[in-house]
Amino acid sequence: MSELLASALPSRARMRRTAPAVVSAVALAVMITVCASLQSDVLSVGGLTLVLSATVPLVIAAQAQMALMSVGDIDLGIGNFVGLVTVVSATTLVTSPLLGALTLIGLVAAYAVLGALIHLRRVPSLIATLGASFVWLGLGLFILPTPGGSTPEWLASLGSWQPAGFPAPLLPILVVALVVYLLTSRSALGVRMRGLGSNPVALQRAGLRPLTSRVIAYTVAGALGVLSGLMLASQTGGGDVSSASSYTLMTVAAVILGGGSFFGGSAVPWGVAIGGVTLGLVSVVLSLLDVQSNMQSAVQGVIVLAVLAGRVVVGKVLR
Amino acid sequence: MDNRGPRAGEPVVVAKGVTKTYGRTRALAGVDLEVRAGEVLGLVGHNGAGKSTLMRVLAGLEACDEGAVLVHGKEVSGAAGPRAEDFRAVRMAYQETSLCPDLTVAENIWVSSRHCLPRLGWRRAASDAVRRRLDEMFPGHGVTPRDRVEDLSLAQRQMVEITRASLVDRLDLLILDEPTESLGPDAARSLYDYVRTLTAAGTAVLLISHRIREVLSVADRVAVLRDGAVTAERFAEGLGEQDVLTLMGAHVAVPSEQDRAAARAAGDAADRPVVAELRGATGPGLREVSLRVGAGEVVGLAGLAGQGQQEVLERLWHPVRRDTTVVGTRAYVPGDRQRSGVLPLWSVAENLIVTAMRGLARQGLRRPAEERAAVGDWVERLAIRGGADAGITELSGGNQQKVIVARAFASTAELVLLDDPFRGVDVHTKTDLYALIRQEAAQGRSVVWYSSENAEMAHCDRVYVFRAGRVVAELVGEEISEERIIAVSFAESDGEQSNE
Repeated sequence: MSELLASALPSRARMRRTAPAVVSAVALAVMITVCASLQSDVLSVGGLTLVLSATVPLVIAAQAQMALMSVGDIDLGIGNFVGLVTVVSATTLVTSPLLGALTLIGLVAAYAVLGALIHLRRVPSLIATLGASFVWLGLGLFILPTPGGSTPEWLASLGSWQPAGFPAPLLPILVVALVVYLLTSRSALGVRMRGLGSNPVALQRAGLRPLTSRVIAYTVAGALGVLSGLMLASQTGGGDVSSASSYTLMTVAAVILGGGSFFGGSAVPWGVAIGGVTLGLVSVVLSLLDVQSNMQSAVQGVIVLAVLAGRVVVGKVLR
Repeated sequence: MDNRGPRAGEPVVVAKGVTKTYGRTRALAGVDLEVRAGEVLGLVGHNGAGKSTLMRVLAGLEACDEGAVLVHGKEVSGAAGPRAEDFRAVRMAYQETSLCPDLTVAENIWVSSRHCLPRLGWRRAASDAVRRRLDEMFPGHGVTPRDRVEDLSLAQRQMVEITRASLVDRLDLLILDEPTESLGPDAARSLYDYVRTLTAAGTAVLLISHRIREVLSVADRVAVLRDGAVTAERFAEGLGEQDVLTLMGAHVAVPSEQDRAAARAAGDAADRPVVAELRGATGPGLREVSLRVGAGEVVGLAGLAGQGQQEVLERLWHPVRRDTTVVGTRAYVPGDRQRSGVLPLWSVAENLIVTAMRGLARQGLRRPAEERAAVGDWVERLAIRGGADAGITELSGGNQQKVIVARAFASTAELVLLDDPFRGVDVHTKTDLYALIRQEAAQGRSVVWYSSENAEMAHCDRVYVFRAGRVVAELVGEEISEERIIAVSFAESDGEQSNE
């Protein structure tokens, strides 16, 4: 009896941890069903491509947010950062590809430096990243005051790539989730990151520098932010620094929907992918349902709250 | 990972005149200590004697101000602070474990033993190593390397922590800080068996524990730390518990004849008004538990750890089921003070008064003068070091515990629930708190007290001994003794007889 109980316990714990992602997945399935009942073309390859493509940059940005949340930090600058990347890819990357590529690498390095500063100066990440978000916004406006420009050929063709047989947007979503999973959940670097979010004292006693962990996390977040911006630019075909400003809070919601926590310590790349797609699909469902565009934000918020409430309820039941 | 130590008898780690000062407190005032290969050295001393600081210095986590630390005869306390390489063969298992709760067991092993694991396939190597060592040290541990630490019980976490410390390619000195506080007797016995095999292979073991009897039964030598210096070093052979307590300068907490008389009276007084009652409570972890708490009574819940005592406290705290009746208000003192006890950002005063605040307030407005008076009263009564305005985390563990206990008693609650609150607390603090409990009970308060330390139960009026979710014995007054409790909590047939 007690043996049976003991073997049942870990699976219960695992259920509790995956419950948020499962709730999001259920919400996702419901939304796709609703979409399909209104517009049966949604379930075709072309339809899914159309519906999912808008979620790709959001999901990748959400993975960046998760990297930071796994060390216990939060990134309030990711939206403008993604916007800045679209600006760079629509201007410098076209005129001088080498300089553009260097600029993008420089942006990743800037994230790493930001992480180091946050650690060394003991600034709350909330404040430092909020400050940085204005820097990204200012830089973006400086380079391209009004939305415009055009993305390089290769990026545009990437955005319009339509393979036969499966919806193209699934590929980046799954590949990025897999890479982030391997990095944060399977590798030693991931252990360092999650260890920092979980118990920095233990990390220090073991002779691992928390600074390194934080810089790794910020570098990963910066790289994913650049990737997200490139994907966004490939879809919109131009640069606009404020095109992704809603991402900042949406990514946080996506991480929470996927089972992440504000306190750090956990990495849930697959959950984040599901949560991000769920969030991205909400607006699609609402336009199919003919909800007034003025009302969309409010309804979107209510749906997010409902899914979060579902997460809490399931968590209580499984305790 | 095998443990090839140096030859037996030669000193592994030596402290020479080590001093350490934090601000105005002198934690270490010239410690001379020698740990030799192949021996178990017991280190005793009450909280604040400098044990943890000494451990941190010996484990190379901190540099000392004056004096020197020698590892294998080589001085390693350079001006730039201790270097990790010099202390690689010195490992320490912490009392408040140094595990990351969100990581799996195997990942925690990587964090602390990564330099002995391969770069590729470290996960499998760490899993194999930790599984093998756990089987060796704690048969029947029930831990798998893939479990997250947060899902493990307190005892299992302690096992993983000790295993973590022991997993290294070369182990010269293993420091065990209160290793058995959360462990059951079986696990403690198998741990000490393993300690014996370690020392036979030439490893030195430094054992710190408040359980003096345990230290005496395991250690070869005992060192007594008092006010930041080693005041006595004796061979454990032939040394008694009383001798050690005397060397520590402690007053032994034995209830006076008066207390005993009070306890007898309480046991007889079946006609006291009942404050709380459980009638045949059955549920997860509980099977037909019936118990009764009278006004002004101290009721103990004893037995091995995890036999249903905490479930009873939980029932009394949230009396939602039909089979539980509780009259009046309750206050709860948690055992895991780091996780559910202190409010780390608040001061001592705020931590202390938070429960009583509502009772003191008038029409929802706080009354600072009354609050301050109440806090001052408690700080003085329990002699909380640091005073009311200190940050709670600046206090030592024992003093933090005093604040948490005072918080419950400062409220107007009629029933106080204690969830093993005195784990790892020094003798002086315990004596103060025992006296407090008796005083409060004399004023009509009821206390339900779960303790893993059977000796503490002597301060109760009535003790229910638990085994596998059942009450197997009810002891009253003079029947309450450590030997008796141990006897009923182990002997199954005995326990069932006394239940009938």
